[in-house]
Amino acid sequence: MSGRTLIAVSAAASALVVVVYLALGGAGYEPTPVADPCEPRAWTAPEGVEETAQQFTLSALDGAACELRETTGADVTRETLALALGTAESREQFAEDFGIDDAEFEAAVRAGLARAIDDAEAAGALDGTVADGLRVAAEHVPVDEAIALIVDARQLFEDAQGILEALGGVLP
Amino acid sequence: MIAAWVPARAALTVAVGLVLADSSVVVLALPEIYRELDVSVSAVTWVLIAFNLVLALLAVPVALASGRAGAARMTVGGLILFAAASLLCGLASGIGLLLAARCAQAAGGAAAVCAALELLPRAAGSEARAARDWAAAGAIGAALGPGVGGLLTELVSWQSIFLVQVPIALAVATPLAPAALRDRPAAAVATGLRPHFAANGALALLSAALAAALFLLVLLLIEGWRLSPIAAAAAVTVLPIASLVATPLSRRAAAPPARAAAGAIAVAGGLAGLALLPEAAVAYTFGPQILIGAGLALTLAALIEAALAGRSAQAIHGGWTIASRSAGVVAGLVVLTPIFTADLAAERDDAEQAGTAALLDSQLPPSTKLELAARIADRIEEEGDKVPAVGPAFEPLPEDPEQRAATIDLRTTIEDEIDRAATHAFSRSFLVSALFALAALVPIALSRRGIQL
Repeated sequence: MSGRTLIAVSAAASALVVVVYLALGGAGYEPTPVADPCEPRAWTAPEGVEETAQQFTLSALDGAACELRETTGADVTRETLALALGTAESREQFAEDFGIDDAEFEAAVRAGLARAIDDAEAAGALDGTVADGLRVAAEHVPVDEAIALIVDARQLFEDAQGILEALGGVLP
Repeated sequence: MIAAWVPARAALTVAVGLVLADSSVVVLALPEIYRELDVSVSAVTWVLIAFNLVLALLAVPVALASGRAGAARMTVGGLILFAAASLLCGLASGIGLLLAARCAQAAGGAAAVCAALELLPRAAGSEARAARDWAAAGAIGAALGPGVGGLLTELVSWQSIFLVQVPIALAVATPLAPAALRDRPAAAVATGLRPHFAANGALALLSAALAAALFLLVLLLIEGWRLSPIAAAAAVTVLPIASLVATPLSRRAAAPPARAAAGAIAVAGGLAGLALLPEAAVAYTFGPQILIGAGLALTLAALIEAALAGRSAQAIHGGWTIASRSAGVVAGLVVLTPIFTADLAAERDDAEQAGTAALLDSQLPPSTKLELAARIADRIEEEGDKVPAVGPAFEPLPEDPEQRAATIDLRTTIEDEIDRAATHAFSRSFLVSALFALAALVPIALSRRGIQL
């Protein structure tokens, strides 16, 4: 085989691999995009307590992440916050990674609850009176209880009035 | 003085194969080493870099010294040092000691290989036979390397990779010992002609590309796609097998400069293919591996032939080729490590976010989602800067059949996201490696036009 033929065969084989892999989508990878938490996210007509609680949790995470973005400039999403809320250690690590102090974190949790209550009221999942009461409660409830409410809001939608009464003890 | 003698010829050939196969054997153990010694991916690359750096720096000086000290004496001394340092590598409990032992191992290896090059023509009966032995030792060593490395790492431990080299090095030194005892230093040391810079420069660039091909591919398979060391070893053996198959064919094809150029293009094409893998599936690596293997068979033999042709002493010019190849491996790893570790970190963050988004959008109860999120966060934290294996975070699976199915679906989605991110994380590094291979065309072209560098 002559030198030129050998080089041509080698170049053709290389080009073939590259073209086939490009055609199969080899250069097309994009990570699944993550939504901006400050953009409104519509509730999808929740049915039953379980679905309502799901959407309440997601709204609260969006609200808290958005508050942190706006007040601290940290690139926080509801996904990073979900990973952080699991344990006290993961919360500390999250605060350290993003340079967030306790007051900023607490304000974000309360802002998240407020957004979730607004969204639930707008979707008809909470009536106006209960929503107003919850807004007041969200401003005063200890932060750990606020987090517990974000993590599992099922009880809230099973017995919203009962929750309000239970929270009454911490209201001013 | 060594005579034409089968045991000596075999011993010298095995010595060359043992040292030159080192990198391809050790690369399969690197993921295990960084897990066990709890170091970063960047730090563990120094297990390869340290060895090749010392080999690059010492190959020519020890080749010169072997003329003064006696080649047989230098080979045996080198093998004993290689064996002692291998033992130390196998016993090392920390990265510092392991790296120090790797440097000593490379010093012994450099002495053994370069001096063996001086002895091989006499043991084999001619320079042509010696060159064939040397090429075969390197090719067989490289072919067996990944398989042996993967088997030992998985069935025994990463330490066994080094410990198994101890008896082999000592066994190889034994038939050479009588010649070493009789060895007398040469009265005058020939320094020969200056090295063939174009051929050695091209060798360095192609070695950088090869280091990337093997090292990055192994990391992608084991760390990115979570294959076992044995499965990864089997997968990457396609490359050296393609090289072995192509070697006899390449000898009959065209003149050395054309073979070198065609080989460099094939290596670049194969690396570009690895950069464009359409999916996280081992089968997609086979085509690029075959191209790289065939390309290396074409180009390495042609370049070594050009680097050694008409030059004496063989040990010194062999030393230059070993120094060039090792320097290329070092350059490749030094350039590529920061690129792929940065890309890996960025893709890992994106995959983490996308995976968590899938978790939050799943139909699991909110408390289960956040509990799972916490377990996944723990896994990510435990894995440090590595690609996280999130599967264990989903154990135990829920008892409820509906939730169980949803959890399994979710796990598949998240692992797929991580697989795709890991595959993409290596793309830029494979492309840079392809550029190394293409850059080798410059010295090859200059050499083809008869331009002496």
